[in-house]
Amino acid sequence: MLTLLKMWLKAGRLTQNALEWSNSANAVKIERKQFLSLPFDERKALAQSLLIRHLDVGSNNAEEAELVALSSPCYDISRFGIDFTASPRHADALAITGPVTRHLKIAMERTYHATPKPCLVIAIGDGACYGEPYENTYACLGAVDQFLPVDVYIPGDPPSPREILSGLLECKRLLGQKTLS
Amino acid sequence: MTIVPTQVEPGHLWESLKHQFGAHLLRHDVRSPNQLMIWTDTAYFSEGAAWIYHQGSFETQYLTLLAIEEETHFSLYLILLLKHYKTLLTLTCNVDKSTVRYRALSPNIPAAEWHEREIHDLFGIIPEGGNLQPLVLHRDWPRGEHFPMRRHFSESIPIREAPHRFEMPAGAGRHQVAVGPIHAGIIEPGHLRFCVTGEQIHRFDAQLFYTHKGIEKMAEGKPYPAVLTLAEQVCGLCAFSHSLAFCQAIENLGGVNIPPRALSIRAILLEMERLASHLADLSAICSAGGFGFASARAAYFRERILQTNDHLVRHRFLRGLNQVGGLKQDISNDAFRQALETLSDVQLQFATWQALLLSTDSFLDRVEGTGFISHEDAGRLGLVGPAARGSEVDVDLRRDFPYGVHTQLPVSVKRFDGGDAHARMSVRIAEVDASLSQIQILISELPSGSISVFYDAELPPRQPAVGIVESPKGSLIHWLMMENHNQVFRWHVRSASYMNWRGVVQATMGNNIVPDGPLVNKSFNLCYACVDR
Repeated sequence: MLTLLKMWLKAGRLTQNALEWSNSANAVKIERKQFLSLPFDERKALAQSLLIRHLDVGSNNAEEAELVALSSPCYDISRFGIDFTASPRHADALAITGPVTRHLKIAMERTYHATPKPCLVIAIGDGACYGEPYENTYACLGAVDQFLPVDVYIPGDPPSPREILSGLLECKRLLGQKTLS
Repeated sequence: MTIVPTQVEPGHLWESLKHQFGAHLLRHDVRSPNQLMIWTDTAYFSEGAAWIYHQGSFETQYLTLLAIEEETHFSLYLILLLKHYKTLLTLTCNVDKSTVRYRALSPNIPAAEWHEREIHDLFGIIPEGGNLQPLVLHRDWPRGEHFPMRRHFSESIPIREAPHRFEMPAGAGRHQVAVGPIHAGIIEPGHLRFCVTGEQIHRFDAQLFYTHKGIEKMAEGKPYPAVLTLAEQVCGLCAFSHSLAFCQAIENLGGVNIPPRALSIRAILLEMERLASHLADLSAICSAGGFGFASARAAYFRERILQTNDHLVRHRFLRGLNQVGGLKQDISNDAFRQALETLSDVQLQFATWQALLLSTDSFLDRVEGTGFISHEDAGRLGLVGPAARGSEVDVDLRRDFPYGVHTQLPVSVKRFDGGDAHARMSVRIAEVDASLSQIQILISELPSGSISVFYDAELPPRQPAVGIVESPKGSLIHWLMMENHNQVFRWHVRSASYMNWRGVVQATMGNNIVPDGPLVNKSFNLCYACVDR
């Protein structure tokens, strides 16, 4: 507590770094120099905010847990200008998890129509990307891209918060391009 | 393989069953010293079940009810735990394919209601005198002709728009608040309906099963390693409990003995999962109670547990480690020692956090008395896990039906008598402390040796097998029946959240206001994916 308060007074924000294990192959890092060397459009896109509406269409709760972890102080996704919104009407992107189930297909399509265009559709996890390892049954309809145009795939079982974060930064670039075109 | 049942029990249980059932006891089977199966006729099924359930001296706990379709008939399996004898009792009856009826259990065993409705939806077996409202399949599914869990069902039913119907009291000043299925936060889908006057909640009901994928149907005809993968996918947060329960079912059926090191590692990882789950729950409770700082700290502890998991198993949710016969890979003692350092650090910080939380009056004011559920209601609805222990119901499968290391390692069951969100939170806090110290004991006494035995023998077909685990949210049951060539004939999962959902509905309808809704919900913090499957 006291350490945190001290850190807070010093740094001005309440963020703790998560303990990091040695494999940082997919670590999300944007160095200042690297950032400045990017073309203007891309810099502009990265500097803009990205508001996401999360949409569970049949996942097994693991992807949700990782999305919640992204907002925790260890990853603190809002320092990248990324945040989760309560309504699809405020969203730039839909983050969809899980294979589409029969009972959620209509809700998914309605949420997509309620999202202002151009919007991105992000499929998170193997269920949303490929419908795996599930199979099609009377209640399970399979991957998201059969029903909606998916822009970004973030596969994994579930993808780690770092992988999701790097995927979301990629989304910022894409959204920049989409808005320009 | 019928062994004389007096071996199981010094007289009393078997004698009283035989006396009560008389000519209705068609057949019996004793699988292992603590698993007893009895067959009865359809007419006596309900009455016999009620008799066993209400025998005070048996201390019966309802576990699950399931149906299977065989060539000539349907069969119902009711699984009860007789805590007094530490015995699992399966009561079975056949249901005729032409009448498809039996007398409902739920008037006498209220905990069975959801299972009866589920069986009615998926198999079309009618519980006479029971609730026939649809549960698993939504309103747009054509009633009375298409039963997806029957063997030869392969049609695809077109999706129609059909609004849900809720029975809500009408009147001046009353209105309904609808929430979901797409929620405002990062939560799983479910439709919740409040009937309120001003802020006061009169009635509450929920439509679930939005993420119903028919996982049990996917498993049919698959070899069991493939079904193990599916079992891990039932739920993300308690993936290890699910895979362990599934493996235990097969290991019980095949009589596989697991090496002691694997048993210990399984127990350690199960406690790690409990830590992660409880810390997530605590974080959610603090967040719903408007205590952002405590919520962020709990989320931070949880992340450290998940990173430790990743370090140990290379998977944050412990998937892909369990296999029938033990574990797929060993975890070095060094890795465990390192994990122990992290855990003692977390333990220290958790103590500070706990002191802060329990001395913040504004937060305690939110949780105390919120979402009350009485001891009687909790028992009647068959609640399990921290939700039950918060209403002083004495259940914990690690003690009541010990498996793995718990046959030797005692577990102290943490109970609180408040019945409110505060009590359920206190159970979790106490269990986090208990899990941390139990992991320390298990790691310090970790036996050496092999971590798995090779097993690929043909499993006996058409024999029921049960795997039972106390998952973070309560008792978890995997029931399994094999076909020839090690293919799965029927697989049934009963998760802890499945039993506790009716508790949420009951607790929300107590003396609560609408802003308490999320807090009551989070104090149970149930998993929708586990329920819907």
